[in-house]
Amino acid sequence: MSATPVSTPLPHRALANLRSPGGGSGGGQAGGGSGPSTPLRPINASTFASPSTLRAEEDLVIIEFGTRKLLVGFAGDPVPRGCIWLEPEQQRRVGDFRAWQTGFHDDWRRRASGKRWGRDHELWQYDVRGVDLGLVGDKLERALREAFTKYLLIDTRPRKMVCVLPSGLPSPLLSATLDTLFSKFQAPTISLLSSPATLTVAAGVRSALIVDLGWTETVVTSIYEYREVYCSRTVRGGRLLAEQTHKSLAKRLAQLRGESYDEGPDSDFKGEVLSFEECEDIASRMVWCKPCRDSITAQHAEGLPTVQEHDDEPESHVPSSDPRPSMVTVPLKSSRPPTSLELPQDALTEPCENAFFETHYSYTSFDDHELPVHLLVYRSLLQLPMDVRAICMSRIIFTGGCANVLGLRQRIFDEVSSLVRQRGWDPVQGRCVAELRANTKLKKRATRQAGSAPTGVASHPEEGEEQDGVWHDAANSAPEVDPVEEQLKKGADKRPRVQGEMRAIESLGGWSGASILTQLKVGTIATVDRELWLQQGAAGASKASEVDSKTLQRQSLGAGGLIRGAAAGSNQWTLGVWGAT
Amino acid sequence: MAPLTPYTFIQCPCSDPSTLASSRPADASSPTSISGQERDDDDGRTFDPRAPRSNYSLYPLEYLLYCEDCHQIRCPRCVSEEIVTYYCPNCLFEVPSSNLKSEGNRCTRSCFQCPICIGPLGVTSLEKPADANLLAAPDNAASPPSGPYILICSYCNWSSTEIGIQFDKPNSIHAQLAKMRNGGVTRLTAKERKEKRREAAAQSGTGVPPTAAPTTTGGDGQDLDVEAQFANLKHFYQGQLADANAAGASSLSSLGDLGFASPNSLSRIMSIYTGGSLHDKKAKTRVGTMREALDSDEGFKLADLDESGAIEKLHEEGYDGTVSSEQLSNQPPNVGEVQLHGRSRFASELRPIPYLLRTKRSKRCPICRHIISKPEAKVQTTRFRIRLVAGSYIPSIAIRPLPGGGPPPDTLQPLRPAQFLLTFKNPIFETVKVTLASPATTPGRFASKVTVLCPQFEIDANTDVWDEALNKDGDKERRRRKGEDSGSGPAGGGQAEAGKIWERGRNWVSIVVEVVPASLRPPTISFGKKEDTGPLREDEDVLEIPMFVRVEWEVDAGGDEVGSVPSKDKDKEAKEKRELAYWCVLGLGRVSQG
Repeated sequence: MSATPVSTPLPHRALANLRSPGGGSGGGQAGGGSGPSTPLRPINASTFASPSTLRAEEDLVIIEFGTRKLLVGFAGDPVPRGCIWLEPEQQRRVGDFRAWQTGFHDDWRRRASGKRWGRDHELWQYDVRGVDLGLVGDKLERALREAFTKYLLIDTRPRKMVCVLPSGLPSPLLSATLDTLFSKFQAPTISLLSSPATLTVAAGVRSALIVDLGWTETVVTSIYEYREVYCSRTVRGGRLLAEQTHKSLAKRLAQLRGESYDEGPDSDFKGEVLSFEECEDIASRMVWCKPCRDSITAQHAEGLPTVQEHDDEPESHVPSSDPRPSMVTVPLKSSRPPTSLELPQDALTEPCENAFFETHYSYTSFDDHELPVHLLVYRSLLQLPMDVRAICMSRIIFTGGCANVLGLRQRIFDEVSSLVRQRGWDPVQGRCVAELRANTKLKKRATRQAGSAPTGVASHPEEGEEQDGVWHDAANSAPEVDPVEEQLKKGADKRPRVQGEMRAIESLGGWSGASILTQLKVGTIATVDRELWLQQGAAGASKASEVDSKTLQRQSLGAGGLIRGAAAGSNQWTLGVWGAT
Repeated sequence: MAPLTPYTFIQCPCSDPSTLASSRPADASSPTSISGQERDDDDGRTFDPRAPRSNYSLYPLEYLLYCEDCHQIRCPRCVSEEIVTYYCPNCLFEVPSSNLKSEGNRCTRSCFQCPICIGPLGVTSLEKPADANLLAAPDNAASPPSGPYILICSYCNWSSTEIGIQFDKPNSIHAQLAKMRNGGVTRLTAKERKEKRREAAAQSGTGVPPTAAPTTTGGDGQDLDVEAQFANLKHFYQGQLADANAAGASSLSSLGDLGFASPNSLSRIMSIYTGGSLHDKKAKTRVGTMREALDSDEGFKLADLDESGAIEKLHEEGYDGTVSSEQLSNQPPNVGEVQLHGRSRFASELRPIPYLLRTKRSKRCPICRHIISKPEAKVQTTRFRIRLVAGSYIPSIAIRPLPGGGPPPDTLQPLRPAQFLLTFKNPIFETVKVTLASPATTPGRFASKVTVLCPQFEIDANTDVWDEALNKDGDKERRRRKGEDSGSGPAGGGQAEAGKIWERGRNWVSIVVEVVPASLRPPTISFGKKEDTGPLREDEDVLEIPMFVRVEWEVDAGGDEVGSVPSKDKDKEAKEKRELAYWCVLGLGRVSQG
C-alpha cells in the first residue's frame, strides 16, 4: 500500500511543483504559499478517517460482471486476482466426477448437437423474458464461492463489495445479483459502478468513447466528464463471431467431404457440425481481421482522418495482398469423424468480416439492432454534440473480449476514419444530398451570400479616435480583463487537450478503474445497504437524481452529522443508472 | 456409453424451497417446464432433479456435514468458514496471512506450474550454453559460468527457454521472474519504480521542475506495462485529488469539519484569525478540478493498433503456435507486460504459473456457531480435529439391481419393469423409522413409473458388531416377534412383495423399488401445448428418481448427544422425538436408447 502517510507527502509535493510553472504565481497553490498547511492526505471526503481505516478496509472485494466471466480481486490491486469463466463444467453437481471418466467427453460434452450452443457458457441473457433468476443467482453464487476460495483466499466473513456492471444491465438481473450477494455473502454494503465509467478512469481521461466488443453485443458508450451521454448497441459480438466461425468451418468441411452445406436461415443452429467449445477455441486462436481496404495506404500515414496521403504505396502493402497462398491446418475434434482442415489464411478472416462488418451489404440494409460495428461507432459519434464529439473521437477505447481478435481494433478504427473522411459529420446522407452538394449553382450562391455579409459591415475606416496619442479601436485595444474568466483560467490546466482527431487510447480495464476509484475512496452514487435492500428490495430505490450525493457525503462528516443524517431520511438510496424504473 | 454406477445425491434442506417445484410458467429454458405445470395441482412440491437449479443443491452424502446442536444437515453452501492456514500445495510451506496482502495469492518461492500441461516445473542448470542461439538476452551471455538455470517440465518437456527466460540463480525464481519479460528483457518491479519516483520527487524538490524532463507519449509510453501504468495512474489521481481537496474542500466543507488534527480545519482556524482573506483566495481557486492524464508518467497510454506483426506471426506459427483457451485461463495475470490484447494467444507469451496458495478452513454452523469441522493446523497432516460428517448421522442408501434375472446390468430396457434393491444403513445407535415417498412418475420429459414396494420400515440401531454375532438367535427371535420377516428375504423365493422388507440385518434394511423406464423417443406429435420435441439432451437417458426421505428416531431427553446412550432395551421415561427430512435423488441406470 503506497497510501500510507509516509509516502503521500512526496507525491503531493511533486505535483505541486509540477503545476507551478503553468499556474504562474505560487499564491494559487493552496498548499504552497498561503498559510500553514500540513500536506494533505490524498483521500477524498474522509477528513476524519484516520490512516488506519485504510488498512481496515483493505480487503474490499471488487467484482466485475461480464456475460461469461467474473473478475474478482481486492481494491488497490492493478489487476484482478482471479477470473472465473462460467462453463457447463461449473454447473455440474458437486461430486459428479464423470467428466474425468474416459470416454465421457466423447459421449456428451464434445458432441456438437443437443446442447444450447453456448448458452450454458453464459451467466445470464439480457433477454430476461425466459430467464430463471434463481438459476442466475445459483450460478453466481457458485462462481463467486469458487473465486473467493481459490483466488482471493478469504473466508465467509461479511465484506464490503464493489460491483462493476455494464450500464445496460436489466434490473431483474441486477436485483438477482444483489440478492445473491446480500443473502449468500452477507455483504454489508455494495457499491455499484458502471463499467464504461471505470474504463474511462482506468485510461486516465475524463471523456471517452468506449467501444466494448463484448460477448452478446457490442456497446458503444460515450462518456463525457465521467457521465454517460450516449449509448448504442448492436448484436455483433463474440457470440456472432463464434457462430460465423462455425458457419464458415462447416462450409469448408462440407466441401471437403463433397457434400453441400445448406446454410439455412441465419443464426439458426439446427445442424451443428462442430461443438461450440471448438468453434470458440478456433475463433479465439486463429481468426484474424483483414485491414481496411481503402485505408491500406492511410494506416501507415499518420492516421489523420482528414488528410489523404498517397505516398509510397508499394511499401505499405499488407501481407494479405501477398500472392503466396499461405495455408493453415486446423484440427477439428468434434466433427464426426475427427479430422483436420486445411484452410487458406484468408478463410479465417471470413467470420470476423461477417460478424462485425459485412461491407458487401449496403448500409441501409441493416436493422437498428444489427448495425456493423464501424457504422455504429460513426453514428454514435454523430449523435453527440460537436464539442463532446471532438473530445470523444480522440479518446476511443477498445475493450471487451473481441478486441483480442488480431487486427480488429485497427480495422474498426480505419473504417470509422474512412467513413468520416467520406461523409464528414453530416447526418443527412443519400442521393439527393449528394446532388445538392454537386449542384454548383446552389453552392455558388450560398458562398456569395455568406461571404458578402461580414465584409459589408467590417470596413469602416473612421471608427477609431485618437486619445493620448494612441489609436483606440477594436483592433489594437487590450482586451478587458474579466475577473471571472481569470479565475476560471487559473484553476484550469493550460496544456492543450487533444481533440478533433481520431485517436485510440489504452485503458487498463473496467476492473482496474474500479480498483483505483475504490482505493481513492471516491464515493459512488449508488451504494446499497444490506438492511435496506433486504427490507425494500429493488422497489425501494429512488431515482438517482432524487438522491443528493451531497447529503450522503455530509452524513459522514461528523458524529453529529451522522446522527442527523440517520434521523432525517437517510433511507434514500439509489441504484444509479440501473434504477430507472 | 460409459456404464453408470448407481448413485445417490442428497439435497440439503438449506436450499431455497423454490427449487423444489419448477412452477415458473415462463421458464422455457427448463426441459421440464411442461410437466412441472401439469404437476402443480396435485403435488407442487415434488423435487425435480432435472431442473437446472437442482444441480446446485444436490450433494453426495460424503460432502455433507451435520450440526449436532441444530440436528440439521449442513452443506458447503450453508456453513460459515474460517481460515486456519494458508499454504502452498507444492512446497507445503505455510504462508503467513500478512504476506498474502502484499505478495498476492500465489507461492512466491520457486513453485511453478507448466503453462502447457500444468505439471510442476523443476529448476535445472543449463550448464553449457549449447543452444546459444536461444539466448535472446544479451546480459545472459555475460552471466557467471556457474551456468544459467531454467525451469523445465518433466512431463511435457516444456522449458523456459521457449519463452526466452533464464535465471542467474537457482533460488528465488519468483523474484527473478518478476523482473523479466518474455524474451529475457528486464523490467523494473513495482518497488524499484517507486524508489525511482521518490528520487525524482526529491530532485524536483530541490528546484528542478519535473516538466523539464518530459517523456513523450510516443516513446516511453509504449513500454508502459500494466503494473507501471496502474501505479502511474494512481499516483496521478492521488495528486489530482489532493489538489482538488486543497483548493476546494477546505473552504466549504470545513464548516462541518471539527477535527482539529486535520489540515483543513487548521487552515479554517487560520482563516478566522486572518480575517477571511485566505478563505477568499481559496474559494476562487476552487474551480481547478481534476484534469486528465496527459503522458505516460501519469498513466496515459495511446493504443497501439497496428497488429500486423502479430498477424504475420500467427500466419507463420499456425495453429500450434497458439494456446488453447484453457491454457490461457490458467495463466496468472501478467502485470509485467504491456496490454497484450490479441497477442496473449501465442505460446511464446506464456509464463510459468506460480502455484496458487490454498487454505485449510474450519467450518461452523451458521446458526449456532458450533464448529462442525476443524482441520489440524499443521500443513503436512491431513487429519481433522473435529469433523461431523453427515454419513454418521443419517442413513446411507446403496443401490444395486435385484439379483436373479431381469435386465443386463448396464442399461435398462424401456417399458420393461426392472427392480432395484435399496439398502438403508443406519449409522446411529438408535432404532430409526424411515418413511419414503416418491412421485409415481419421474419428472422430466420421459416419465418413468416408480413403485416403492415398502415405503415405511424401521432399521435397528447400530449396535456393536459382536452383538449380532453373539445373539444371532435372539436377534432372529426379535424379528419374528415383530412379524415382518417371515416370508420375504432372498431365501424366501426371490419374489418381491408389496409392503414387505426384502432383507434386513443388524443395522440395515433392504427394500425393493420397481421402475418401468420410459421410452426415450421425444414426442413427435404435440398435443395442444408446446411440447418439447428437441433431441435427447445430456444425461436425459439416466433414470433418476426423486425420493423424499423422512427419518424419525427417539433419544433420551437428557442426553443431547445423539448416539451417546445405546438404550434399545431400556424402555423408560421421557424420550425425545427427532426427525430429519430431506429429498434425495437416486440414479439407477441408463435407459437404452434402442
